[in-house]
Amino acid sequence: MLRLGIDVGGTNTDAVVLDGTRILGVAKTATTDDVTHGITTAIATLQALGTVETAHIGAVMIGTTHFINALIEADRLAPTAAIRFGLPATAALPPLTDWPERLVTALGGHSFQCHGGHEYDGTAIADLDETEFRAVVHAALEAGARSFAISSVFSPVNAELELRAAEIIAEQVPGAQVSLSHEIGRMGILGRENATIINAALRELADTVTSGLTNAVASAGISAPVFLSQNDGMLMDVDHARRFPVATFASGPTNSMRGAAFLSGVQDCAVVDVGGTSTDVGILQGGLPRQASAEVNVAGVQTSFRMPDVLSVAIGGGSLVERGGKGVSIGPNSVGHRLAERALVFGGETLTASDVAVAAGLVDLGDARLVAGLDRAMVREALAEVGNRIAGAVSRMRISRDPIPLVAVGGGSILVPKVVDGTSSVTRPENYAVANAIGAAIAEVGGDVDRVFTVAPGGREAAMDQARQEAVDRAIAAGAAPASIRIVEVEEVPLAYLPGNATRIRVKAIGDLTLESTGVLDRD
Amino acid sequence: MRAHLAAGLTSITADDVPALTAGASLLGSGGGGLVAVVDALLRHRLGRVPVIAAADLPTDALVVHVGVVGSPDVHDERLINPADLAAAARAVVEHLSGELAAVGIIEIGGMNGPAAVVGALELGVPVVDGDLMGRAFPSIEMTTLAVAGHAAAPLALVSPNGDTVVVTRASPRMTLSVMNGTVRAMGGAAALALYPTTAGTLVESGVAGSLSTCVQLGRALLGARGSDAHTIVDALGGRLLAEGTVDDIHVRTDRAPGSITLSLLDGSVARIDHLDEILAVSHDGRMLASTPAVLNALDASTLLPVRLDQIRAGQVMVVFMLPALHSWPPGAVDPAAFGLDLESAP
Repeated sequence: MLRLGIDVGGTNTDAVVLDGTRILGVAKTATTDDVTHGITTAIATLQALGTVETAHIGAVMIGTTHFINALIEADRLAPTAAIRFGLPATAALPPLTDWPERLVTALGGHSFQCHGGHEYDGTAIADLDETEFRAVVHAALEAGARSFAISSVFSPVNAELELRAAEIIAEQVPGAQVSLSHEIGRMGILGRENATIINAALRELADTVTSGLTNAVASAGISAPVFLSQNDGMLMDVDHARRFPVATFASGPTNSMRGAAFLSGVQDCAVVDVGGTSTDVGILQGGLPRQASAEVNVAGVQTSFRMPDVLSVAIGGGSLVERGGKGVSIGPNSVGHRLAERALVFGGETLTASDVAVAAGLVDLGDARLVAGLDRAMVREALAEVGNRIAGAVSRMRISRDPIPLVAVGGGSILVPKVVDGTSSVTRPENYAVANAIGAAIAEVGGDVDRVFTVAPGGREAAMDQARQEAVDRAIAAGAAPASIRIVEVEEVPLAYLPGNATRIRVKAIGDLTLESTGVLDRD
Repeated sequence: MRAHLAAGLTSITADDVPALTAGASLLGSGGGGLVAVVDALLRHRLGRVPVIAAADLPTDALVVHVGVVGSPDVHDERLINPADLAAAARAVVEHLSGELAAVGIIEIGGMNGPAAVVGALELGVPVVDGDLMGRAFPSIEMTTLAVAGHAAAPLALVSPNGDTVVVTRASPRMTLSVMNGTVRAMGGAAALALYPTTAGTLVESGVAGSLSTCVQLGRALLGARGSDAHTIVDALGGRLLAEGTVDDIHVRTDRAPGSITLSLLDGSVARIDHLDEILAVSHDGRMLASTPAVLNALDASTLLPVRLDQIRAGQVMVVFMLPALHSWPPGAVDPAAFGLDLESAP
């Protein structure tokens, strides 16, 4: 079975076809505003290579930054009602309290609290008042809300109220989009609720984008199922992505790091991903991206996502190079996706990092004669500055004082010098420019459990087994081949100061994607 | 290293909140609950809360200590309601038929430092520049007032539903179990007011100036952001203990301590022993530092202090100590008081 991996970035849309671990073809095209056009072009480019038989493609994996960008730009967000069950508790900090004003405005600022919620042991804080809730839904609709984010205190322990709320909304507003916090976030109501509100705000866009993606793939004559990359590098099917767009948020850095591991064969290293505007530095441990320890702030909103630990430096292939009093400076300004118009090598007027790289003979791009006259000393100084900035970022990220290998990927990685301070080696693997698409193509499927178990005396093993089984079941439901499933993460944390040995257990199971359950084989 | 106990604050405003909560995280010594929950409350409500030294209050002025008790995981879900903090304080004041002059801080480390400021704001009274622990400790008996023989009662516990339990008298032996039973019935967490006392007693037996110290530590931490771990530890007046990668996490059970093992660069091993807070740090079997010194771990990439529940295998940590803000009598809060069979650090 062939796998088609596609990365829809802010600047480029990249595509690769893999047969097992063999790369059959790669394509790089410009990202288009409607997303799908870039994908169609990328697939057509692959087909034109003649090395790929599209009929043999068994699965399409897409990584996209579309949703996180929409949030950052506060663009195309659905008017959303944030409704929380928790009163009389939680009253002092209503939903949306800590959000940037710009986003609150973009969402319509509809924040409501109702009586309800549960205690840690699953008993009710207050009973659901259906009249109160129906009035809230009515008020939200009157105010123009089209998508609903429902959170309830301790819903990871007892989801009953959120589920009932979804039923009531379905009765009142058939077909309304509802996002439930227990399906999206972890313990900690504010982070979980924020993630749920973001998800709800992206649901309309997700409808458009996911159908665009499937149509683009289908119109290219590919009948294989389409999957999207999630934050942890696992895959979800299109229907899941339509309901949980927020799960795509960190897929960019995750895919680039996993792609770098695949291309270089190095499992423990610093990955330096150089794009057009910025460089992301992350750390691979055993082939997996190191996760950030704290909760992650996305576009000014605190969420409970776990994301890769990434340090960004404002240097990329399109960064402006300027000579000032203190020597040569690079970035943070960039020509971005207009490199092909504005860089010197393309006949433009702007001196960019790419021009410097061409002048130094690091890469063949545009017309090298257009930069032949650049001052040699300036070129050397500019490249040395790039090296220093990257070395600085790597030294902040690396896990010990020992030098570690560096793997450079991304279209701009030709800027990474052959020797970087604090690293033991610098590798730029073949196909470095499409590492993200590779990362998407090689992704597996997984299942997570993260909730509170009441562990009876002597019942620890039973609780752990139950959690493991749930994670495995979820991985299978997500499309993992049962025989390939392994548990990759187990964590148990007893809740402090609570009786009854309430223990929070997190388990993650992952496995290879099986296509038997998707109906692909029937179509062959 | 005592230079922090310098100029006293006269008030806390919204501008001070980042430093207050950063300092409280440091003095939480890896525990002390979720500062973020109170941080959000303060940023959205705070105008100005006057801060006053106990010595500047009339000797017989009534001070009630206000905060929260229970599981951080419950606070993280149910959040904290300023009205509940005020209701707890009022219940104690009402029982004493007195007049509240100021709110006291139970423990400056973790969420209870900022929580008392929230309480003072809600009650419209000043907050005392000081506390009863000089850091965070897991037990309500580990206070300077308890050590000096003062009772925690009359005390009050308030649930989010407004249920109010006033304990009029409590023997030192029973205080904790009476409170725990009530907190359990209230869903695992509650607003709390206790240790009603006079300003005069606080001058004798409190930890003076710790609110100012907390804000100063926070400012130093935030001011050193963007530098490196060593600069930060220096800026805080701390001492570096160990720097390495988390190898092994031995989870604590109900009351049995847990430990975290770090592999250091030179191949040696450091160990962090903890309950809710970090209690001791040893290196190749030798104790480097222990409670009441304030022990912390910084994440090497974010350069922020981490709570014990945030520590993961493979994480790189910089472990350091800040000197205790208060000298305790032998045995009161040393490792043995937490059930650790370790020698105290010299």
